[in-house]
Amino acid sequence: MLSENDVKVLKAISEGYSDPQRIAGKLEMKIEAVRALADALGEQGLIGVTKSVEEAVSLTDEGKKYASEGLPERILLSAIGSGKPMSDLLDPAHKIGLGWLRKKGWAAIEKGTILPAGPAPRGKDEEILQDLLLADAKSSSLLDKKGLSDLKGRGLVAFAKSKEWRYKITTEGKKWASGGMGEVFVQEMPPLTSDMIKAGQWSEVDGVLNLEYRGSSYRPRPYDVTLAADKIYPGKKHPYQRLIDFMREIMLEMGFMELKGQIVQSSFWNFDALFQPQDHPAREMQDTFYLDSLADIPDYTRVKEMHESGKGADSLGWGGVWKPEVARQEVLRTHTTGVTIKYLAEHFEPPVKAFGIDRVYRREAIDATHTPEFEQLEGIVMDRDVTFSHLLGILKEFYSKMGFEEVRFRPGYFPYTEPSVEPEVFIDGLGWVELGGAGVFRKEVTAPFGIEHPVLAWGLGVSRVAMLKLGLKDLRLLYQSDLEWLRETPVCIKL
Amino acid sequence: MPVVRVYYDDMERLIGASRETIMGRLAMMGADIGKRAEEEYVDVEFFPDRPDLYSVEGVARAMQGFLGIKTGLVEYPIHKGSVVLQVDESVKAVRPFIGCAVVRGLSFTSEAIESLMGLQEDLHWGLGRNRRKVAIGVHDISRVVPPFKYFGEDPERKFVPLDFSLEMSMREILEKHPKGKGYGHILNGCDRFPLIVDAKDQVLSFPPIINGELTSVTEETEDLFIDVTGMDGMVHKALNIVVTSLAERGGRIESVLIKKNEGDFVSPNLAPTAWTVRAEEANRLIGFDLTAKELAECLERMRFGASSDGGAVRVQVPAYRADIMHSWDIFEDAAKAYGFDRLEARLPRTVTVGRAHPSEVKKGEIRELLAGLGYLETMPFTLTNEKIHFQWMRRESEPECAAAVRVKHPISELHTILRTSLLSSLLEIFAMNQHHPLPQRIFAAGDVVLARRTHMNLAAASIHSGANFSEIRSVADAVLRELAIKAEIVPSKDGALIPGRGADLMAEGSRIGCFGEMHPLVLKSFGLEQPVVALELEWGVL
Repeated sequence: MLSENDVKVLKAISEGYSDPQRIAGKLEMKIEAVRALADALGEQGLIGVTKSVEEAVSLTDEGKKYASEGLPERILLSAIGSGKPMSDLLDPAHKIGLGWLRKKGWAAIEKGTILPAGPAPRGKDEEILQDLLLADAKSSSLLDKKGLSDLKGRGLVAFAKSKEWRYKITTEGKKWASGGMGEVFVQEMPPLTSDMIKAGQWSEVDGVLNLEYRGSSYRPRPYDVTLAADKIYPGKKHPYQRLIDFMREIMLEMGFMELKGQIVQSSFWNFDALFQPQDHPAREMQDTFYLDSLADIPDYTRVKEMHESGKGADSLGWGGVWKPEVARQEVLRTHTTGVTIKYLAEHFEPPVKAFGIDRVYRREAIDATHTPEFEQLEGIVMDRDVTFSHLLGILKEFYSKMGFEEVRFRPGYFPYTEPSVEPEVFIDGLGWVELGGAGVFRKEVTAPFGIEHPVLAWGLGVSRVAMLKLGLKDLRLLYQSDLEWLRETPVCIKL
Repeated sequence: MPVVRVYYDDMERLIGASRETIMGRLAMMGADIGKRAEEEYVDVEFFPDRPDLYSVEGVARAMQGFLGIKTGLVEYPIHKGSVVLQVDESVKAVRPFIGCAVVRGLSFTSEAIESLMGLQEDLHWGLGRNRRKVAIGVHDISRVVPPFKYFGEDPERKFVPLDFSLEMSMREILEKHPKGKGYGHILNGCDRFPLIVDAKDQVLSFPPIINGELTSVTEETEDLFIDVTGMDGMVHKALNIVVTSLAERGGRIESVLIKKNEGDFVSPNLAPTAWTVRAEEANRLIGFDLTAKELAECLERMRFGASSDGGAVRVQVPAYRADIMHSWDIFEDAAKAYGFDRLEARLPRTVTVGRAHPSEVKKGEIRELLAGLGYLETMPFTLTNEKIHFQWMRRESEPECAAAVRVKHPISELHTILRTSLLSSLLEIFAMNQHHPLPQRIFAAGDVVLARRTHMNLAAASIHSGANFSEIRSVADAVLRELAIKAEIVPSKDGALIPGRGADLMAEGSRIGCFGEMHPLVLKSFGLEQPVVALELEWGVL
C-alpha cells in the first residue's frame, strides 16, 4: 500500500526526475521528506536508489589570495628577472616562493644568486586555482589529481564530502505509478496522540505498522534513521574542573583533608610565616599583587626572633630587623601555602594530612603559558617520625594515581623547605617533565608555631597538568573559554 | 635563576672527568640543565641558595667532590699582603660594610674575564638584591697606588667611569650612565656618595654603581684588587666566593688590612665555620640509616670538612657557602651526596580519613544542578576591571563597587580589581563566543571578594533570540528549591536589569542575588546582539 506522498514521489521519478533536490522543488516538499519516501520506495523495489559520495573542493583563504594574485613562485620568478642575489629577498613571501621555484625547476641558485632556468609553463595547479576561483566549489573528480594533491599539501584547497542520491523507476514501480495496481491509498499517520494510542486498532504485518483509527487507515512513514539530526550539547562540568575533581578525589582517597582559605592574605601568612626574608625578591611588587590595606596579624614575637636570629630552631636566621608593618601588608595570595601554615599553626597535634586546590595570583603578563591567576595543588603530611623518604613515597603514589607511572627525583630549591626536591614524570613524546616541587618545611617555619614534627609538603601547578592532560596549547582557554571547545570536549575525556 | 655557561672542554679539564660522567650526575647535585645542549657548551641553571656555584670554577670544585675525585674541605692559603684600605666615618651612614682582597698571578683570557663578570652579576642578583645589599668591584691593581681610602664623597666629584672617555660628576653618572640610571635609586636621599680612591686620589670605584675606567680589567691584567661593599656581613660571603673561585683558576690570595675606627681587621677571612651534628638526627630527617662515619663521608663529598666522633659529626662549613643556616641544610647536602635516586620512596604509616571541604561539596551539587538545567560550566578569571565590572554593568552606584578589592600595581588595565560578582564575566564569555550557535547557556560557581573577604557565588546566563523573564524565573525557582535556599523574590532596582523585569533575592533582610532580563544598554556595552537573561546568587561566605 502506498500513501499519497509515496505516489507523488513515485510519479515524479517515473517522469524522469532523478535528483531529490529537483523532486522536492517540483512537489514543494522538504528534501529530507523526499529522501525518506524514496528510500522506502526503494526498499519495496519500486525504484532504484544509487548513493554516491562526492568530494567538493574549494579554495582556502590563502588559496583565494594566490588564485587572484598568482602563486608566490610565479611572482618571485617575475621579480628575479634575469637573476637576483639571495640577500635581496626580504619579503617573507619570497621564502615560500623560493622553495617552490627550485622544486618546480624554474630556477637554480648559484653562488647566492637565483637564476631563472628555462621555461615555466602554467601548471595544472595554477589551472585548478583559476577554475576554483570562478566556480566557488567543484567536485574533485573533475580536477587533475596531481595538481590537486600539490595544492592540498600547500593548504590552498579544502575538501568537503557530500552524499548524492539518484533515483530510477523500476518495472514494478512503473505499474504503480501508472495506477496499474489500483489506487489503494492509506494515509500517512499523523503525529502520535494520546487518543490514537488508546482508541486506535494497531496491527503489524511484515514489519509494517497499520493503524485503524476513527474510520481511516494510517501507516507511519518510515524514516531514514541514518540521517543526521540537529546537534545538541548537554550542560556539563568544565573539562578543567573535571581534572581538578579528579585530583581532589586522589587526595581524598589518600586520606587528606581539604582546606580552603582567603584569597586576600597578609604578607605575614603568605611570606613571613614561611620564613621568606622581608627583602626576598619574590616579595617585590614586580611579582606580587599588593593591596593598599593592612591586615591584623597575630602575636609575631617568635616569628620576628626566628627571622632576626634563628632563635627557637638553632638556626642563624636572616639577620637584620624584621618589621611588623611589612608583614601587615595585604596581598593576593601567591600560593596556597599561607593557608596551610595557618592551619598547622592552629592544628599542631599530629597527625595532620591536608590539601587544597585553589587559585593563586602572580603579577605576570598574560600569554599562552602564563596567566596572572591559576590553580595550585598543595598537600602536606605532618606526623611523628615522618621523613624525607616518606615524602618521596607519597609523591610516587600521588603521581602514579595521576597516571604518571614513572617518577624520578632531583634536588631542588624552595625557600621554605629543606631538603627540597623537584619531581619529574616521564611523558611519551616529551621525555622527563618537571612537575611541581616538594620538601620538608624548614624548622624555622614550623618552630615559631609550636609544630614539633616534620611537615612533608608538595605542590604543583594544576594548569600545567591541564596542558599535559587536556592537550592545551594556550592556558587562556581554561578561563576565557571557547564554548565550542567546552561543547566538544567529551565528559569521558581520559585524564 | 643564574645561568652558568659550561664549556665541556673547560669543565673536563677543571674536574678531571669525562663530559658524559659530569653531565650524567650534574643535575643530581642540584641544577637545572638546559634542554638545548650545544656542541661546545650547555647552559646550566643553579639555585638561588648556592651562589658558590655561579662560576665554572665553583661548579668544578663541587663536582670533584660529588664524583669522589677530590673530597673534603678545600684549604685556600692567604698570603699576608701589604695593601691597606682606610674606611672613613663619612661612608658609614651610606654603605657601611666593606671586604677586600688582592689576588695575584692570574692570566686572563677573554672567556675568563667574561666568566668573572658573569659571576659578579649573578652575585649581585643572588646575594646582593640587585647591588643594594652587596656590590662587587674588580680592579687591575697595577694601575693604582695603595693605600686606598673608602669614604663618602661630594656628589659633584668628577672622574672617568668605566666604558667612558670623559670625566663626569658622580651626580651626572646617576643621570646619564646606564649603570647610574639602573642602580642610582640605591643612593636616593644620600648627600654623600661612597667612593674608593688610591693614594694619589685616583678613583677605583663608585660603589654600588660603577668602577673607574682607570682600573678596568683586560687580558693583560695579572693582579686584582677586589672590593665588596654593602649593608651587612653578606659582603664577606660574596668576597669569599669571588676569591676562592679565582684561586681555583690559579690565583694567589693576599690579605688586605682594613682600618676602621672600631678596630682594624684582615680581609678576607676564609676560616670555615664549625658545626656539630648527629647522625641520628640526619637519619630522622632523611629516612636513610647512616652511621656517623658514613654521614661524614657523604659530607666530605659535598666539600665540607667532616670527621665522626661517636654518633656525632664535626663539620667544617667552607667560607664560601652562604646557605648553611641550620643543621637541616647540612643534612640535605648529605642526602644529595647519598643520592636522591638511592633513597627509598616509602609511604608513611600515618592513618587519617579524607574529608572534602563543605564548600567544595556544595560546589559539586551546584555543578550537577546547573548542568542538569542544560548550562555549560565556565571558570573565568577572578581579576577584572572597574570599567567592565561596574560601568558596563551599570552598577557604579551599587555598594559592592566600594567593597571591591583594588590591586596596587596592576599589570594591565584589564586586571585592576577582584570581581565582586560573576555575571560580567559570563557576559564577557558570551561576547567572545558570538560566532558559535545559539542558544548558549553557561554558568560559573566561584569565589568573589567583597571587603577583602571571600564569598561564594553562582551565576547562570542564557543568550538566544527567545530569552525572556519566565525562562530565568524557572531556573531561579529550580535553583532555590534544589539548594534549599529560602529567599523572597522582590522587584529589583539593579541597573544591569531591565526596569520591571528584574528581581532581587532577599534572605533575612539582605540581598543575596538577583535575576531577570539584562538591560539592553549593558548588552550593548558588551557588544551582544541577542537578549540575555541571567541569575546570580551568593550561597556562602568563607
